[in-house]
Amino acid sequence: MKISDSFNISSSALTAQRLRMDVISSNIANARTTRASMENGQAVPYRRKTVVMAPNSVGFGSTLDAVMGQKPATQGVKITQIAEDPTPFKPVYDPTHPDADGEGYVYMPNVDLMKEMVDMISATRSYEANITALNASKAMISKALQIGK
Amino acid sequence: MQLLNGVGFARLENAIQAAGTRQQVIANNIANVDTPYFKRSNVSFETLLQNELNGGMPTLRGYRTDSRHFIIGSSGKVPEPKITVDDRTAMNNNLNNVDIDSEMSLLAENKLRYDSYIEQLNYQIKMKRVATEGR
Repeated sequence: MKISDSFNISSSALTAQRLRMDVISSNIANARTTRASMENGQAVPYRRKTVVMAPNSVGFGSTLDAVMGQKPATQGVKITQIAEDPTPFKPVYDPTHPDADGEGYVYMPNVDLMKEMVDMISATRSYEANITALNASKAMISKALQIGK
Repeated sequence: MQLLNGVGFARLENAIQAAGTRQQVIANNIANVDTPYFKRSNVSFETLLQNELNGGMPTLRGYRTDSRHFIIGSSGKVPEPKITVDDRTAMNNNLNNVDIDSEMSLLAENKLRYDSYIEQLNYQIKMKRVATEGR
């Protein structure tokens, strides 16, 4: 057991939450992007992205240690993929829009601003919690260095 | 003579090790607060030590007259910290069971515990220094 392992655990979580924040920012920024890509000369709206998080287990050794009760089963967290939200695009009636179809509907991204704001607060709070854990680990190591002084 | 390898020292050493492991486990729980299907882990040491000291199994204890005898019941040794996974509960819809409030309070408690162990160790070292230097 190395106590600096807890640094790595917390920093992996900070990285993951930051990436989550980046994805949320991208969703908010593209909430009205109707031309994320072109397919057959047709504009395709932006599709909302979500992150998939998984515990960061490091193979056989860590699993064996976990079974023997020596170490936690996982060492932090990782983002395994940035997935796309499959919900349909929202049609908005706006015949003057350049990307409107023959019936006057323009398809808007499937981004729900309310959802993004909630996710953003969740990511911020998790980030703060991990900072607190990191600071506690740091203070503990500093304290251990005082042994015998 | 057991000046520095007394059982008190060994207990403190294992307690500090347990607090370090617990710090790692709690950091891991907090890191995985948003991970679906994650189950939190727990480190038990203090209750194990308490059981050891009180004789968790007082009805069954072998009386040793020789150092080569098998130890039956409490061995008088310092227990190792033990990690257990709590996979029976669920907090959220994603079957994660990390309660961030309880983790944060455990984190604060563990840090204070660790600090107090270090203080105690320093005090013991100081006492031994007094004993060896004679002042």
